[in-house]
Amino acid sequence: MAEAALPSGIGQPGLGERTVDALLSGRGIWPAVPAIFVLMIVAIIPFMILLSLGFSDIVVARGAIVSQTLSLSHLSNALSDPLYWTTFQRSLSLALSTTALCFVFGYPVAYLFLIGGRWTKRLILVLTIAPLLTSGIVRTYAWLVILGGRGVVNSTLMNIGLIDEPLRIMNTHWAVLIGMVQIHLPVMILPLIAVMSRHDSRLVEASENLGASRLGTLRHVILPLSVPGIGTGAALVFTLSYTTFVVPQLLGGGNYLNAATMIYEQVVFSLEWSKGSVTSLILMVTCLVVLVTIALLTNHFTRWTKGREG
Amino acid sequence: MMHGPPGPATKIATAAPVLRIGAVGKRFGTTTVLENCSLDVSEGEIVTLLGPSGCGKTTLLRCVAGFWDADGGAIEIDGQEMTQVAVNRRPVGVVFQSYALFPHLTVEQNVGYSLRMRGVPRSEATLRIAEALETVSLSGFEERYPAQLSGGQQQRVAIARVLIMQPRVLLLDEPFNALDAKLRGSMQVELRQLIKRLGLTSIFVTHDQEEALTMSDRIAVMRAGRIEQAATPDEIFDRPATAYVADFIGTSNFWEARADGGRVVLPDGQTVETHLDGQAQVMTRPHNLHLGSAEAGAWKGTVAFHRSVGPLVEYHVETSGGATVKVAAMRQERARPLEDGAPVSISVIDPTLCAVYPL
Repeated sequence: MAEAALPSGIGQPGLGERTVDALLSGRGIWPAVPAIFVLMIVAIIPFMILLSLGFSDIVVARGAIVSQTLSLSHLSNALSDPLYWTTFQRSLSLALSTTALCFVFGYPVAYLFLIGGRWTKRLILVLTIAPLLTSGIVRTYAWLVILGGRGVVNSTLMNIGLIDEPLRIMNTHWAVLIGMVQIHLPVMILPLIAVMSRHDSRLVEASENLGASRLGTLRHVILPLSVPGIGTGAALVFTLSYTTFVVPQLLGGGNYLNAATMIYEQVVFSLEWSKGSVTSLILMVTCLVVLVTIALLTNHFTRWTKGREG
Repeated sequence: MMHGPPGPATKIATAAPVLRIGAVGKRFGTTTVLENCSLDVSEGEIVTLLGPSGCGKTTLLRCVAGFWDADGGAIEIDGQEMTQVAVNRRPVGVVFQSYALFPHLTVEQNVGYSLRMRGVPRSEATLRIAEALETVSLSGFEERYPAQLSGGQQQRVAIARVLIMQPRVLLLDEPFNALDAKLRGSMQVELRQLIKRLGLTSIFVTHDQEEALTMSDRIAVMRAGRIEQAATPDEIFDRPATAYVADFIGTSNFWEARADGGRVVLPDGQTVETHLDGQAQVMTRPHNLHLGSAEAGAWKGTVAFHRSVGPLVEYHVETSGGATVKVAAMRQERARPLEDGAPVSISVIDPTLCAVYPL
């Protein structure tokens, strides 16, 4: 529409010229149009399809929907199916423990970045960012090598004589958890580093001058000030690990069922699109509930940033 | 109150100093930031470290606080060596340049921070916090966060936060920098009176000479990592030990002269005594010079520029030699100041107030 207005707008004042002016000056909603267009295609329309599939009975013939009638049966079936409950419980506990472990392992790294010298900082940045540049599938396969029956862990343990036969790590909950924590750790560390390096180093000096030990400073100054970073990191890690597919599929063996692998089974193997849609919607809603909780908690612990007007 | 000893050459130890800095040095890589800095601070004395940025004054302060380790020398408080004592165990309180208040803590929690770290019981802490806030007139602000305070109020919180732990030595790192010029003057007087009332031994760092003159019992002028002179403000102003100090503090006139037989002849014919021999430079302040009619003296010149600064008239007199001499005269309401271009002669009022420095 804007392109069509361009030729007529040149030289003669009128509607066309005003449209071009508005376009060029970036006023109104014009600058948002491309973004809205992309969002429509990749998010809003698929979401509508998901909703319509989830809340209707469909008949599929030769890969196309031939009839569709409104129905709540898929949702009620899902909610009354114990398999759903155990699967979502497993997904949720896996995601929450991944988030907690990422915090436990990530926070010391971020703290080391804060207090470390120039080379420590560089090393941490490289080690944090480099894995992000590698495909998640590749990194997951690496864990197969490490945790496998004849993998690095088992052969080392056997060589030093701690065990006689290989431990079964692969295809267990633990393998999935280890892989998840390693893969999502950078996503926790980076926001922590960003928030922690924004604060004045004099706050740490002031704290020590006022009699605090290193631990006291960490607990009473650095930790509370890094809450926004913890919130961001937790939200990212939780979302990624709650909805993850690759890690449970590869490290959990074929039988490890979490929300994402369940959707995969329903859509790809049993071709139950409506069932898959309902599972996806449940996944989305529960994920949002947790994210809102994280946001509320973060807000609660950063009250001091509000009310700057005296 | 104790005042500084009469001069650097005649240091008389009346009592053991609270803080003794002995021959402290500090290097960063190949750069020497502090060199052989020695300074004693007596009970209740306020000593200012004054110098341009990069002269090492903040470095010296940070070494006393323990944020940085000195490379050599001794730092003693009440006769106890501090160099091996951790930051959080030194009896030292620091007021930072930007105050470094904890943004996530209320005024009350900020002020009570050191008590909490030392495990002081809550009931006692509440009393002491109230008392400290009272001292800096901030009662009623307990629940505010630092971001909700003005610059002046933030500074007072920073001071209360340090006072509450009753430090033996108070260190202030350019605490007025973040304040606007108008507030600065009144806060300086207020802070000095407060420190004096509490009898705190203090080191104050600034690059602003007026601030130094207002705040201090004694000023240590620093240059390139060394202390050039440590003396009372009057002493520093009237008897600057080196040409650098004379130039840094106040307005000054310098000219070259020849010292012969322990005497230097001034341009107006008077003489000043010196222990130097050969080429030297002579310094005097503008208010030690007097302007007379052109015929009255031998040091002749013409007024090149004049301006009234409050009760004084400042003249820039161009001498026949081509140099510009600054002369300050009291403004007289009845007589008009000399016009630019007027021929004059300059005379020295008190030759003993002229200083002779090696060239």
